Amino acid sequence: MQRVLGLLLAIAVIAGAARAEADPPSGDPAPVAPEDGPNTTPPATGHDARAVSLGTLFRGPFHSSRLFAMPSADVVGAYILSLSGEGSLLEQPGVLTSAGVIAIGFGDIAQLEYRHTEAIGITGLDAPVPAVGVQLKLPIPEHSGVPAIGIAFRLGVPRGELQDGHELDETVTDLYLVGRLRFAGAPWLTLHGGTRISSAKAVPGSDPALATQRTLILPTAGYELAMTDTSKIIGEISLAPQFQWMPDATPATAPQIRRGLLGRLGMRWRILPSVIFDGSLGYQVDDAAPTAGFDAVVSWDIRLGAEVFVPWGALACRAVGVFCE
Amino acid sequence: MKQANAVVLATVLATGALARAQPAPPDPSGSAAGSPSIPAAPAASPPGPATAPAPAPATGDPATAGVPGAPADPDGLISGQPDTPLDPYAAAAAPARRGPPKPPRPPLDFPEVLTTPTGWLLPAGVLYSKDAIDTGGGVTSDNRVGLGDVAEFGVATTDQVRERQTMADKPERIQPYITASFRLGIAENRLFDQQPGVTLGFRKSFERNHDDEKTRIAELTLVASKHLGKRAALHVGGALWDASLQSTVTEPGQAPPPEITLHGHDYKNQIRPFGGFEARPLPRSEILIDLGWAPEFCYQCADTDKIKLRPELSWGVRYEVARFMHLESGVRVPDIGNFNLLDAQIFGQVTFTSFALKGAVDSLK
Repeated sequence: MQRVLGLLLAIAVIAGAARAEADPPSGDPAPVAPEDGPNTTPPATGHDARAVSLGTLFRGPFHSSRLFAMPSADVVGAYILSLSGEGSLLEQPGVLTSAGVIAIGFGDIAQLEYRHTEAIGITGLDAPVPAVGVQLKLPIPEHSGVPAIGIAFRLGVPRGELQDGHELDETVTDLYLVGRLRFAGAPWLTLHGGTRISSAKAVPGSDPALATQRTLILPTAGYELAMTDTSKIIGEISLAPQFQWMPDATPATAPQIRRGLLGRLGMRWRILPSVIFDGSLGYQVDDAAPTAGFDAVVSWDIRLGAEVFVPWGALACRAVGVFCE
Repeated sequence: MKQANAVVLATVLATGALARAQPAPPDPSGSAAGSPSIPAAPAASPPGPATAPAPAPATGDPATAGVPGAPADPDGLISGQPDTPLDPYAAAAAPARRGPPKPPRPPLDFPEVLTTPTGWLLPAGVLYSKDAIDTGGGVTSDNRVGLGDVAEFGVATTDQVRERQTMADKPERIQPYITASFRLGIAENRLFDQQPGVTLGFRKSFERNHDDEKTRIAELTLVASKHLGKRAALHVGGALWDASLQSTVTEPGQAPPPEITLHGHDYKNQIRPFGGFEARPLPRSEILIDLGWAPEFCYQCADTDKIKLRPELSWGVRYEVARFMHLESGVRVPDIGNFNLLDAQIFGQVTFTSFALKGAVDSLK
């Protein structure tokens, strides 16, 4: 009996003690400051990059200076570096074409760039040709229905292309005159149009005497439809130089330079203010193979790309105190 | 006597311990300030986020504390919860909630019925993965990501492409056949009320070398999808198919064999309608049926018969195991045109969807 009572007593005491320990301590506890309350400090609004956070610097706003391939009447902005690249997934295995652009903005009206420009190679692929260039935006006040004007000059760098063991050096130098049109009544729509004056040159490696050069006037147009705050649908259609060559022909023939039609329909998604993602499907028609028309879906391709904006001026200001004005 | 004393002592101690274990009675004045065992609620909210809930009443129900119009429950009888003293600083120490509470996610509309595309797109940043097996030995995987609420990109393997040497042979699937897809579209009801969701899709395969033959397929689709009430949906579309076939065997001194394409013949051979229907008889279960097309290569046939499109009928059930996981099972008849049910396959597939990437992107913003 005593053992039972003792056991009950022990259980009751232990349970009471445990319950008491789970209770909050009596009396007024000392106030506890919140660990991480909201930032009550107003954000820095000055122009000095040293006064704002790194994340604020990458919030932009940033503007792309191109649609998919054609330049737009915009520049990336002063003290901004733009890095962009794209790749075609499906042209053929092992031939994943790619293109990239490095652009540095100056003075809000110009940018220097190294890019791959559109041209159709002798293998029939939309293979980009490297070029260095400068792009200008005319400082015209923007109004509804009044186009903004841009000029881009791209100096071609020779690209070697092999066909049946024979090399052909291809060079394309372009002068773009493009306009961009917006309307106050349709802020979701932006129209682009322009002309590409392209000087294309093809030099066979085996016989430079067969070199061919031709200047082409190539229209180009595009549009942007804003779908959400961060995404838009982009369409683009343009003519591009197309190289053709039969290296084994007898007698030897010079390469030919013609026009090919390129079309692209896709989207641009601003994942972050400083990062945009492009996706599109592309269509190509060349006048050398008239049977391959719109219905040759098997020759279409899917392209994915991205563009990253780096505010290098602001970063330099934070790092070493230069370009802070 | 000793026994009686022990019993009395044990009873007193046990009663004391049990009394100590009981919660403190409510303050008759309605204020906990005077209770020595219950910390007083601060007169003013402690410094903290503006969205932090106010400290709960000391003797109230924490579930309803601070809710306007909630009934008082001083003794916990309504809620059934035992009254326990509350830490008035618990709210202050809770992590800050930034911004308004997120609304619940709407149910996800899938980009495919069973084998045919729908007019719906994955939301931006949403990942989608579907893996399937069937009784014919087919193993496929389909992985996609939503882009900006207006597009979708995916890479998949398919076992729908089939081959045969002659028309007399039984067709066999070519797998894995890797494809990439890009779809662009407008969400349902986006432009106007009752507007169906519309997508323009493009799917194309990587080049496939198989049995000394080099093949490719491509498909351009335009499809519209419309919810019919809350429990049904209809999908109608058209496809422009293309495919190419070229032998990789080249005779010495001879040019490579010409490439045979579907677009090299009558365009009527390329255009096909397709569609599907979904019904949701139960909240988490759907019945699905769709009719699509798949290319078939015949290597030794005449040029006009080397590439054919075969109708494919599928039906099955989709069950929502969880918000992120769906199971599908059903029957697929690869060539319903010849009514050969012996070729029918029973398939099972599991689909996972994830908002993790979307959440990561949103948090970076």
